[in-house]
Amino acid sequence: MSHFKTTRRGIEASFSDAERTFLGDVIPLLEGLGPTGDDPAAARLTVPVYLDDPVANEEWWRLMGTDLEMAREADRGVFSTVIGSRQPVVLDDADADAVLRVLNEARLVLGARLGIEVEDDHERVPPEERAALDYLGWVEEELIDELTRRL
Amino acid sequence: MTWMTAMPTPVLVPGTGEDLELDRPWLVVVWNDPVNTMSYVVYVFRKLFGYDIEKATKLMLQVHYEGRAIVSDGPRERAEVDCYRLHNHGLWATIEQ
Repeated sequence: MSHFKTTRRGIEASFSDAERTFLGDVIPLLEGLGPTGDDPAAARLTVPVYLDDPVANEEWWRLMGTDLEMAREADRGVFSTVIGSRQPVVLDDADADAVLRVLNEARLVLGARLGIEVEDDHERVPPEERAALDYLGWVEEELIDELTRRL
Repeated sequence: MTWMTAMPTPVLVPGTGEDLELDRPWLVVVWNDPVNTMSYVVYVFRKLFGYDIEKATKLMLQVHYEGRAIVSDGPRERAEVDCYRLHNHGLWATIEQ
């Protein structure tokens, strides 16, 4: 059974207490990234935009980087509210998109920390080590299903 | 006087090439990623660019099998904003001309 279902009021989300405890660790994970040079997860979230022009790339990140981080923080705030609310909780489309982005950001961070650099790497990681990644992927797919119906 | 010197002044003046450089559209490229799922990438293309499922799926498959796909083009300012929106959704997008 999916964690999400479309109702007349919006997308209804419902997680068990155990899942909410687990998902409560997502935000500290995202907020605890190390310096870009030391942390592959931080590097994954700040990939270059101009591959052959370091000056233009630095300028893009100078102009857009702060906005990007603020947008990510706003998404994390929505995510925390959703997970911290009495279940089920109804999301409008903007909130649902924010939750989706946080789920995906967490998967990118976990994937980078697990050293997943090409598709085949996923299968090389022992199942117990990629359980969190797989769980977040499962929840993400459910939410994509609901959001896709609303396009 | 030869026939060539009697020709009227050309309307089109050959350019230096700089104008052409400025007029060339900027391309937003999305690169393959081992973590982002196919369904997520299709959803993001549809959501951000309004592409129908066929075009979004075709671009996603191009990213997956060829490593990259041009997902939008236009003036530099628009390309930079599109790139921002893609990064905000966790896709690795770059800009080139």
